[in-house]
Amino acid sequence: MTDSFALPTRFGAQQLGGCYAPETLMQPLFDLEAAFRAALGDPAFLAELKGELRHFVGRPTPLTPAPRLAAKLGLRALFLKREDLTHTGAHKINNALAQALLARRMGKTEIIAETGAGQHGVATAAACARLGLSCTVYMGVTDMARQAPNVARMRLFGTKVEPVAAGQGTLKEAVNEALRAWAGRCDRAHYILGSALGPHPFPTMVRTFQTVIGEEARAQVLEQSGALPDTVIACAGGGSNGLGLLVPFLGDGLRRVAVEAGGHGKALGEHAARLDGGRLGVLHGCKTLLLQDEHGHTAETASISAGLDYPALGPELAGFALDGQVEVRRASDEEALAGARLLCETEGILPALESSHALALLSALAAEGAATVLLGLSGRGDKDLSTYQSRLGI
Amino acid sequence: MNPLLPFLMAGDPSLEALPQLLSGAKALGLDALELGLPHSDPIADGPVLQAAAHRAIDGGATPLRVLEALAGLTDSPDLVLFTYLNPLLQIGAARLKKLLAPTPVRALLVVDLPFGEEPAFEADLRAAGYPMVPLLAPTTPLDRARQILAERPDPGASAPFAQRFAYVVARLGVTGTGQGTDLAPVRRRVTDLQALTTRPLAVGFGLSDAASLAAVRTMGATPVVGSALVQALANGKGLGEILAPGLR
Ligand SMILES: Cc1ncc(COP(=O)(O)O)c(C=O)c1O
Repeated sequence: MTDSFALPTRFGAQQLGGCYAPETLMQPLFDLEAAFRAALGDPAFLAELKGELRHFVGRPTPLTPAPRLAAKLGLRALFLKREDLTHTGAHKINNALAQALLARRMGKTEIIAETGAGQHGVATAAACARLGLSCTVYMGVTDMARQAPNVARMRLFGTKVEPVAAGQGTLKEAVNEALRAWAGRCDRAHYILGSALGPHPFPTMVRTFQTVIGEEARAQVLEQSGALPDTVIACAGGGSNGLGLLVPFLGDGLRRVAVEAGGHGKALGEHAARLDGGRLGVLHGCKTLLLQDEHGHTAETASISAGLDYPALGPELAGFALDGQVEVRRASDEEALAGARLLCETEGILPALESSHALALLSALAAEGAATVLLGLSGRGDKDLSTYQSRLGI
Repeated sequence: MNPLLPFLMAGDPSLEALPQLLSGAKALGLDALELGLPHSDPIADGPVLQAAAHRAIDGGATPLRVLEALAGLTDSPDLVLFTYLNPLLQIGAARLKKLLAPTPVRALLVVDLPFGEEPAFEADLRAAGYPMVPLLAPTTPLDRARQILAERPDPGASAPFAQRFAYVVARLGVTGTGQGTDLAPVRRRVTDLQALTTRPLAVGFGLSDAASLAAVRTMGATPVVGSALVQALANGKGLGEILAPGLR
């Protein structure tokens, strides 16, 4: 049994992150860090993870050139990293599966998870079905309505979906409830957090399990084009696909961009753009850029995409943003919808609403002089069909 | 020994009612009371205290208004301000000390602040007379308990209960859902902790009936009653009516 952390718990000049957890969860978090470190040093675990990523998840995912979209936007080349083609349809499975394997190794029999868009919930449900773990997913009632297909998928995989009616019924409330549930069952349950958020070691662990995206993409783009792109871009909710794609490019001289949800306005409550709208604060166990009111209460958020509709930017990505290593931009609901439509029409790919926020920024990047861009297509848009139908009038 | 440590949510039912509730508690002979500062995201609270916090916030009980409502109150037990870190962090230690000075607040219980995460903030407040209450959970190994008690030290036997006690979380989970908490493990735990420290211990999370309160007292510890009290107040009962049977 360990009683302290061995890995760095803080990020960047502002020392973001940390472990602001209730005492009940401290020992489980120490134990989790120790198990994570041991697993990373165990060739058998790494081999099993690699095998599952290959044969169950479908890795490596393709890097697809998108020449028609590039031409339309005035880019010389555009490459899409196709996390939408993973099993269950988003990057979330990379982390969910790895943590489920870790939980089994720790002797945990139950899994708890939160979900916003439902992609992390579906990924966790699938991993649990495959590994024979029982699973409960907490999901806000607003998100259950707007991502209904994913609720059905989780249930088919034998997962119990617990509706969370508090507050706005979105991701923040789902995380609250999952943390509460974990405090009650931490003796037998592991909490699979779905983004690079929460108390240490979650942000580090989730990022570690997601960097496979950028590692593959970097090798693929070099192989296909003989050079690195001038810009790498991804959307950012908590920041797991963003870090996963961008971290392997940190040593390269290129633009790294993360796109937040600009929602439908600039006022607090109308968006989920934490860099412009947020101040440093503590939510869900970490210190980071947080949308909050003048009382230190968490602000409401708004986004057409459930997966970006969260008041805090993950602490490591916030650290990179404040230290100038990653540019954080925003795209509005309307811009994301237009970005999605353009990809559909030019390349025959239906993106998730979350990923569409990165697509929405491409014309601005082209105008700013970008020529070759690598974009993280974090998920597929089937879950968003009803939103696309109603908002695009099709 | 302090017979009972009640918990109230500031601003529930209203901030106007707070002075009277506090003087009522004092009249019952209580040394100390935990006062919840309502937070938007109470991750360690069960449904009863979540609902109370949201009622209070909807009623305008912002952190500053709560502290203003406490300013100048003398007819009150010593208060332990029970809250989450972010509202306090946003106020900042320097301003917080000034706001607390005219209030009966004697200590802070910050649910999501383990020792070592905000050392300067914590040291500043402790030096000003606002120590952080050490929390000991069922998952806390005894070695860590020893460390927590050392990091958040006993100011000494002449200090009031509110500044000395350690809070023993009786079971896994969040506040208020302890239907029929099995007290045998709690008794063993309290005995183990009493071997580590001579500080007063308060035992909380899910205690409600007079029998379990009395059982905690036989362990030589102070029972905390929170959700049950908040619920009964919300149902329109009076403070004395609710607490008196548990004090016998
Ligand atoms: C497809 C997709 N992309 C992106 C996100 C945002 O999360 P993160 O920033 O952690 O990648 C989500 C979250 O649900 C998602 O489902």
